[in-house]
Amino acid sequence: MTVSHAAAGGPPVAGLSPGKRLVLLLSRVWAWLFLAVMVLFFVVAVPIVGSATFVSIRNSQNILVAIVPIVLLGLGQTFVIISAGIDLSVGWVMSLGSVLSALAIRGSASFGAPIWLAVVIGFFAGALGASVVGTINGVIIAKLKVPAFIVTLGTSFIVRGVALLMSENTTVIGLPDIRAYGNEAMFYYVRGGGDQAGFHFLHPPPLPTDMLRQLDRILQWPVVVTAVVVAIVMFILHRTQFGRHTYAIGGNLEAARRAGIPVDRRLIAIYALSATTAGIAGFLSTLEYNGGSAVIGDPLLLSSIAAVIIGGVSLFGGAGTIIGTVIGSLIIAVLTTGLVMLSVPAFWQFIVVGVVVIVAVLIDQSRDLIVGRTSRGSES
Amino acid sequence: MLKKSLLAAAAIIAVAAMPAGASAAGKIKIGFLPGVVDPFYQVMQKGVEAAAKDLGIDVVTQIPQSWGVEQEKPLLDAMVARGDLNYIISAPVDKDQMIGPFQAANDAGVKIITVDTFLGDGDYANGPVKFPLSYLGSNNEQGGRLIADGMAKSIGDKGTVYLLSTNPNVSSVGAREKGFTEEMKEKHPNITVIGPDYDLDDQQKATQMTATVIEQHPDLAGVFGTNVFSAQGAAAAITNAGLGGKVVIASWDATAANMENLNKGLVSQVLAQKPFDMGYLAVEFAAADAAGVTSIPKHVETGFAILDKTNESDPNFSRFIYKAN
Repeated sequence: MTVSHAAAGGPPVAGLSPGKRLVLLLSRVWAWLFLAVMVLFFVVAVPIVGSATFVSIRNSQNILVAIVPIVLLGLGQTFVIISAGIDLSVGWVMSLGSVLSALAIRGSASFGAPIWLAVVIGFFAGALGASVVGTINGVIIAKLKVPAFIVTLGTSFIVRGVALLMSENTTVIGLPDIRAYGNEAMFYYVRGGGDQAGFHFLHPPPLPTDMLRQLDRILQWPVVVTAVVVAIVMFILHRTQFGRHTYAIGGNLEAARRAGIPVDRRLIAIYALSATTAGIAGFLSTLEYNGGSAVIGDPLLLSSIAAVIIGGVSLFGGAGTIIGTVIGSLIIAVLTTGLVMLSVPAFWQFIVVGVVVIVAVLIDQSRDLIVGRTSRGSES
Repeated sequence: MLKKSLLAAAAIIAVAAMPAGASAAGKIKIGFLPGVVDPFYQVMQKGVEAAAKDLGIDVVTQIPQSWGVEQEKPLLDAMVARGDLNYIISAPVDKDQMIGPFQAANDAGVKIITVDTFLGDGDYANGPVKFPLSYLGSNNEQGGRLIADGMAKSIGDKGTVYLLSTNPNVSSVGAREKGFTEEMKEKHPNITVIGPDYDLDDQQKATQMTATVIEQHPDLAGVFGTNVFSAQGAAAAITNAGLGGKVVIASWDATAANMENLNKGLVSQVLAQKPFDMGYLAVEFAAADAAGVTSIPKHVETGFAILDKTNESDPNFSRFIYKAN
């Protein structure tokens, strides 16, 4: 039935003319193509305009670090939008996660816990605290049948207040120095000559201060953590029954219910998952900045939604992929970095991202037109 | 303070006295990364560009769209990754959270000069954070005290006043809050201070919060908005409530909007910082450092001018109004 095709991330393709199939394929990979073209543009333009090169270890790693919060917020959002919902609370949940993990790390360190243990406690404080919010979201949406837009908007305000109160309206500082967890990396590369040149694993080589500028960090720990989370979420979405149910719920809520899917339980889990990835994003930012901040997540909400839409998640629900969200996040980050390297005001990124989002939605709508699928009357 | 200004003057004279092109190998390139879009930083940018033009230096500017570490750090990282900047002149948006990112920039070979705000405790000679080249900014705490004294005089040394600030853990406004509250506590014990409240540098929120306080305290005598948006927002709320002229407003930052309010009698005092000086001197310090000067002062107080009805037309004072052109 169509459920298996939906699980592959798209509408059924059997019975279409080759021309239509090509258009359909293009509509699915256009984000990849756009990213490739954009990268190519910057690779060519940046050296012409200035003395920098776009393709460098440092640049590529900066981009990976920059997409960490957007990808993590986008992961949960992908699940939610595939289920034909939306989660507007992820920005503030990220802030709550940041504050909770900072307080937990500071508290457990003051009780004498070794730093690594404090960090682990901080992770669970941020992730689990956030999942509570997500569960509440899910319960109200599923059991009380309130539209997701309204519920998550409401909880976003509540979470915001809680985060500000818990942080006592300031940055949570006084943590032990955990910057290494947030900024050190799996690999190091020392450029140029010298006896320390080349790759190093896990530990940076001891370098005199003036040689530090030749040190590049490859795969900083937040990027590694994000990659693991992405892999786990991809597995859940594409290889488990839970994932298939998510697509089904987004495709047609009533049909899913009649097919025997425990819709309420699934919805609660979906929103809990969304909040948990946001909480992890907050935890990672606490590591990166060595402090918890209640205001850190708010501006990232819209970027994460833009990334998800650009990545090809259908606003009608029932279709989309995690990889698409990662591509969408990369498009935003590559754009910002490229503009800085071209010495163009970074504000242009907003204009470009806005245009790309609208193009993405148009492609999404035309894709459904081609296949002949009309917008479902499912809950949104 | 005088000694620091003399040192600054000496550094400038040393640079100016050098014949053009006698500096160390090649031209330097500077990055400018202020905190956010606002008239104060726009005037600072004018100072940066003026000095760059006078000294023949290239400047690359990026401005975060709102005040926050997640907005400033990616721009900072990208500017460092360019590989062609020797110095970055910046206003760190959090005095603790941005230590790591700026340290990483410094390690990558880009020297840091902070303007308006500082990292750590601002003492780059003896404090916990020592890597930046210099901190140029107003003596925000002293400014807060001056505002407190001026407001106390205007309201008869008694009553309730409201302290409205922007973001917590920012060095500049934090010092203004401290100066204001301590001066009130020490010298004007009959005045009650409500706040500080934080409007997150959003003018709309500033208006809302002030309106709420007016509701709760109908006898409110004064409001101190610690920066551009707080002051403008508070003035709007006071006007809307029909209390213009009855509630004394002290504004930090001499923007065109605040000056208009001063003219209309809504605001009694406007404190003008010297962002042009901060920007100009910062570039000069970068050039001096590149030329081999080693006595660059770690801290320069750029001073301020207090404008009110009596002196706003005096060109010696009106020149400090923030004009973006």
